[in-house]
Amino acid sequence: MYKHQNSRSSGSFSWVFQRVTGLILVVVMIGHYILMHYTPESGHSYDAVLARMQSNWYRVLDLTFIVLAMYHGLNGVWGIFRDYKLKQWQAITIMSLLIIVGLAFTLWGIKTILDIPYVQTSTSELLVK
Amino acid sequence: MAEFKKFDQKNWVKTNLNYRKDSGSWAWILHRITGLALMAYLFMHIYSLSPLSQGREAFNEFMSHYTTPFFMAMEWFLFAFVLFHSLNGVRIVLVDWADGARYHKALYRYSIVIGVVMFFAMGYVMFSHEIHKLFK
Repeated sequence: MYKHQNSRSSGSFSWVFQRVTGLILVVVMIGHYILMHYTPESGHSYDAVLARMQSNWYRVLDLTFIVLAMYHGLNGVWGIFRDYKLKQWQAITIMSLLIIVGLAFTLWGIKTILDIPYVQTSTSELLVK
Repeated sequence: MAEFKKFDQKNWVKTNLNYRKDSGSWAWILHRITGLALMAYLFMHIYSLSPLSQGREAFNEFMSHYTTPFFMAMEWFLFAFVLFHSLNGVRIVLVDWADGARYHKALYRYSIVIGVVMFFAMGYVMFSHEIHKLFK
């Protein structure tokens, strides 16, 4: 009987959210590519990153980007594993590994962003330099 | 009744490879491959940007390895992976939510064309500095 089988327990949330996060990531990725490749330095020099990171909007954007990309990616990998007949212990092991590795790298990325110092000089001065 | 070829379980790799593939099958295969590659890159990306917290010298020293011609070319090919996954992702959303099953093959062709154009446009943006130096 499917009386008590509602859509919430069937994985439909992750299906919807995979599409929603995917669309957000496409938009953010366009901005990311423009920012990183506008000039050869903009993505590859410490000063350019430091200047951007003086704005909390950029920090929040990057934190969102990391979390959404990690969720979307790991949910995608899990989706691939779900295509195969996994025994319960295999499913639990793989799911745990994905969550642990994902959390570790997400926290590492968050730490990297939050560790960037706020400097006293104004952003425009830094950009000129 | 139409006759179906029995799935050969013992040679499933060969059976799958022989399966006639249309645009949708290729999109599915490439979406997986690019997705896994991008996931691996995301881990690498977080690792390679972690020297940001060690200050200017450490970061610029670390970054100098990634601004070599080899890595710049790799970055360009990375963009091809991003492009395919993004465009095909949009195609998947349209198929699911915008009646795209009626026009998914056309969507596939359009996304390939848009993708190739954007790939070369991005190539110009990435290497514009070097291209300008060449023709000075």
